[in-house]
Amino acid sequence: MADKPVYEEASIDGQPSKLASIPASDTTVWADASPLLQAACAGLRDGELIHGDNFNLFAAMSALEIMDPKMDSGIVCTYYSIDEAIENGAAPIPISLDSTIDVCRTIDIMDHLLACEAAWHKGHSVAQTVFSCIYLLRLDRTAPHALLHSYCRIIRATCKAVVSVVSDARTHEEEDLFTLTYGLPLNGDGDDKCLSILNAVEETISRQLRACKATSSKRRLPEDLEPLQSNPNLEEGFCKALLCRLRFRKHFFHVLSCMKRPQGRGLESARKNIASCLTELESILKSADFLRSCFDESCEGDIDDKTTASGFEPIGFDAMLNSRLSAPTPPRAIKILSWKKAVEYFVKLLHDLDVICSYSLDPHLESLLRFVVQFQKSQPDLVARSHLQLLLVQDGKLYGRDPFFAVINKAAALPEATKNHDIQKNESFLQLGMLVMNLLKILCTNAAWQRRKLGKFLQDWRVIYVQLELAFRNEYGEVSSSSNDENTCMKIFQHILLWVEEQTFWIAFRFLILGFELELYSTGEYCMVYWYLYAVLIKLAEKTHLMMAVSHDTAKRKGKKKKDSPKDLARESRIPPAVLFLQCYICLAEGLTMMLAALRNEIPVFHGPSPFNTEQEKFVQHFELLQRACIPDHVSYLSYKESTTHARFSISHLHFDPDASYV
Amino acid sequence: MEQEVGESLIQLGNSDGSNSSSSDPVTRVRKLLFRRMLVGIKDGRFFLGTFHCLDKQGNIILQDTIEYRSTRRSSPCPMEQRCLGLVLIPSSCQNSCHVDCSVEEQLSLLKV
Repeated sequence: MADKPVYEEASIDGQPSKLASIPASDTTVWADASPLLQAACAGLRDGELIHGDNFNLFAAMSALEIMDPKMDSGIVCTYYSIDEAIENGAAPIPISLDSTIDVCRTIDIMDHLLACEAAWHKGHSVAQTVFSCIYLLRLDRTAPHALLHSYCRIIRATCKAVVSVVSDARTHEEEDLFTLTYGLPLNGDGDDKCLSILNAVEETISRQLRACKATSSKRRLPEDLEPLQSNPNLEEGFCKALLCRLRFRKHFFHVLSCMKRPQGRGLESARKNIASCLTELESILKSADFLRSCFDESCEGDIDDKTTASGFEPIGFDAMLNSRLSAPTPPRAIKILSWKKAVEYFVKLLHDLDVICSYSLDPHLESLLRFVVQFQKSQPDLVARSHLQLLLVQDGKLYGRDPFFAVINKAAALPEATKNHDIQKNESFLQLGMLVMNLLKILCTNAAWQRRKLGKFLQDWRVIYVQLELAFRNEYGEVSSSSNDENTCMKIFQHILLWVEEQTFWIAFRFLILGFELELYSTGEYCMVYWYLYAVLIKLAEKTHLMMAVSHDTAKRKGKKKKDSPKDLARESRIPPAVLFLQCYICLAEGLTMMLAALRNEIPVFHGPSPFNTEQEKFVQHFELLQRACIPDHVSYLSYKESTTHARFSISHLHFDPDASYV
Repeated sequence: MEQEVGESLIQLGNSDGSNSSSSDPVTRVRKLLFRRMLVGIKDGRFFLGTFHCLDKQGNIILQDTIEYRSTRRSSPCPMEQRCLGLVLIPSSCQNSCHVDCSVEEQLSLLKV
């Protein structure tokens, strides 16, 4: 089989010469089989196939059909290859011999690349977006054009950094396209020097800006500097437009580098760079007015849809050239984000990253979980979420710093001394550590994926509880002996068992609430969902309260010597705020359940049965995963029906006519 | 030379020369299954794969296919290749179809 590229004479009809370029092998030749095949086709009956034993019609349906535009990505479009496109002037260097136009078009390329980058982050393939740029695909040839070259270099280095973060996070989300680069040139020699190259260009333009300002104020500068472009009226505007774009890239690259540093060491520097990025983005937006007005010709079409600030189409982009590289099948048609939306995307991304960087790396698991849940409410995109996940879980430790057993130890209100106890080497405790780690990773994924994973996760938490309980019973089934260490072990087991239950109910609660966020429940199902939430919340509050009582005991035991003051006694009998908060939720859930049940029981219009599944089938569908994990125990459709069948509004309190129709 | 081999393929029979059904083209094409086949199509590309299936309309399915394609419209130019897997080539876009044939087989064919 031919492994090396071979040369051939192009001639559509000259089959023999082309065949010579694909030699069969050393000992075989190509024999024309068309007459034989034609004869065979004539001899076949209708619907008859010639195939071997391994043929499967169903599998054959997945074959790529050649010349079908939806399946064949090799169909020739404008150019046969990137090199042919370049030879035909699709990506000229310099872009124009007129330096003013050259600068203007370069800015267009920069803007379009930003739009492509945002489209990529949002979930499209990098081949169709950022790497639709011919200049990026053959970066070395841009060397004579310092501005374009430095910009392309930093884009490439930035893309590589982002791909590496998302791959490391390994969230396996639907945006799998993100990390597949299909052999695109993401790794470049010397990209580590991209910042110094960029700085050099920035320095030159800064001097050009100073020079043109000096000229306008009639001051003379000692240096003899060539201006950026040929039109002195536009020099200041172009310099400023370029500077903010270059600076944005520089600061953004710094943000990524700082956030990558282990154990959150670079978070403060990252915040400073984020602030600079946001400032530069503002300047970039402001530059749009100048760029649109610098030439007399105005662009056609709605400016808001354009991918550049000036409104002109950028030169040097062709998404089809890459289609052979992006996948065996052609990619679906995508729309690159408009330039304005791209800037908005980056503003949001930077704000999300800022929230992450401001986090205090709290060693308390409860606060961390609250932080992550709160962060997710702003609907951060993949890049931000990957950064969060990598901050939280590094090297198998929390923040790369705290071993998970120590974290669990603290969360289970065990004394500091037990965090290094040997019991953590026990298989079940090791697994528990993994579960906590996986929980954090799952909580950083997008809502849909998260809910699916959490549902399956409940089973794992139930199993670990049973395993721990079994281990506990096996070792301490009898009354505890006097050994101090055994007492400690027993205490560890007891605390952790209680904590595992509390966590399990918390996960169940998140699972149900996410269903509302994802709009998975129809209004007719709200009653049963709130009822189930009520059941779960009661158990969660119970376990939380127990957990706090146990931790209070532990604290009390520490301060054994002090006498119980009246204030301490009062504090003991007060319900902790966390539990009170849960009780509020419980009241809400109960109230909503009863209200919806009463409405259904009393007002005919709410009572219509669905033409599809019965209520019981819906109950099973929604809560199957919870039921399988017995969360909570003794809860079933029957108990739901029992609780809600007799719900009524008391007529004396309300004034409505039950026979009227409420549409 | 190729044309002769082509004609020889039509006359390809069992080497022990048994019953007359061995000269049936359908049977002979069956013997070509799992052999390497090179199909040229109208836009100039070639597909090299294992012959997997043929239907009455002349559509061909190849397995473990490699696509060969020129990188320039004009000549001379290097050819690119990439792997595609299972591929269906409709008869309407086929230009040519060749099967690899050992030299010995050719010689034995010529004998027949």
